[in-house]
Amino acid sequence: MVKEIERKLPVVHVCTIVPISQTVGANRIVPAIAIPHPFGDPTRTPEEEKVIRRRLVEKALKALQTEITEQTVFAS
Amino acid sequence: MRLELHRIFVNKLAFGEKTGVKDGVLTIDKKELLDLISEDALLGKKLDVDLAMPGDSIRIVPVKDVIEPRWKIEGSGQVFPGMVSDVETVGEGKTLVLSGAAVVTAGKIVRFQEGIIDMSGPGADYTPYSQTCNVVLLLEPSDPGMDKHDYEAACRMAGLKAAAYLARCCAQANADRVDAFEHPNIREAMTLHPGLPKVGYLYMLQTQGLLHDTYLYGVDVKKILPTVVSPLEVMDGAIVSGNCVSACDKNSSYVHQNNPVIADMLKRHGKDFNFVTCIVTNENVTLADKRRSSSFATKLAAMLGLDGMVITEEGFGNPDADLIMNCWKAERLGIKTALLTDEYAGQDGASQSLADSCVEGDACVTAGNANEVIVLPPMKKVLGFAEEANVIAGGWQGSLVPDGTITVELQAITGSTSELGYTKLGAYTL
Repeated sequence: MVKEIERKLPVVHVCTIVPISQTVGANRIVPAIAIPHPFGDPTRTPEEEKVIRRRLVEKALKALQTEITEQTVFAS
Repeated sequence: MRLELHRIFVNKLAFGEKTGVKDGVLTIDKKELLDLISEDALLGKKLDVDLAMPGDSIRIVPVKDVIEPRWKIEGSGQVFPGMVSDVETVGEGKTLVLSGAAVVTAGKIVRFQEGIIDMSGPGADYTPYSQTCNVVLLLEPSDPGMDKHDYEAACRMAGLKAAAYLARCCAQANADRVDAFEHPNIREAMTLHPGLPKVGYLYMLQTQGLLHDTYLYGVDVKKILPTVVSPLEVMDGAIVSGNCVSACDKNSSYVHQNNPVIADMLKRHGKDFNFVTCIVTNENVTLADKRRSSSFATKLAAMLGLDGMVITEEGFGNPDADLIMNCWKAERLGIKTALLTDEYAGQDGASQSLADSCVEGDACVTAGNANEVIVLPPMKKVLGFAEEANVIAGGWQGSLVPDGTITVELQAITGSTSELGYTKLGAYTL
């Protein structure tokens, strides 16, 4: 799906298992938390989770606006 | 370490007054067995036991696990350690095996992650459990709203208790055949067979949580770092399935007990290679865990000086990433690998088979395409709930039609694409 959308629009793939995303050929990759809960962490409080979610979304939006010339993992 | 499997061949089941085995007939005191599994307050009042024999027009659905009845008659520990027995180390002494018999646990747990066993017809060719004399436990929770983790644990324990009970009741019977296995300690293994390559077995276990769990001596394997286990411990039930995941390629407790990779590697030990050890590893849900476990497992292999490893996967999708990391990390440490997996290549077989790959993975054995569609004609008797075919992974709304025919992907059939290779189906390239 990432690759099909990218024919028309730039895409950020937020995913847990980065190597699969790299193999599939996504260009902008943002590592997520865990497979059952990529955008959250049920071991944290709702307030802490909101911070985690916001951080991930903002990182993804920043990645979307970043010019790249090769497959890039936005890890930090 | 030496283990003898004292096999009693079972080719018929019957209900009777006293549980025991004679002339190949396993007689089961149904009330005593039901009383045993009913002790668990988590299980309901309407439990039942039924029998299914090879060739019967019987469909069992939804199937959770299959377990081979075994009981230790000599040596330390007892079968299924940390589960229904104490935690002492197993793998030595004498273990009685009711060969040809199996306990099948059936009941709605996660629903889409249970499976189908047909005892005859075309579906029977795809499941090894059509060839066993099955004691089927039909289970239900005491409270319909029970937490699924609790209900899974109750079903798992019921199956293990029943398997241990059946074999324990036959402990006085004489074996039809004794198979002896020996496996040296690491010091001996290092000096034995100096001309042969040192080979290990990297045994990947499904441990994603959310009811995708496997246990080693009762320990939830997602919580371990990879560790070394003797192949003989596995035969005594050191590894037990608690897995609710696609039926075709979850490793039942039965295939752990009868792991054909271990069996073949023991057979070829000292002839073609030196089978040094098994390394057990997990398949967890964070990238850090996957990286840590694959690095640690391959580090153990390198510390042992292995020249090569057979690696088996359990499940599909993200575990493919674990498989691939294990492969390239081992190869880059100078350890050759052969991979055993299955494929999800779409119903037409044209899609990408695995979610991940690497150039080092150039020796790979497949157990088949789980998306292949099969039509299962109606059976005279259904043990369980036929309509579950509409929700099982590999099925869809409308898989079951009114005459009882079921159309599903092989994914829905228990053990059909076993990634331990426990199947009688194969293919040759001409």
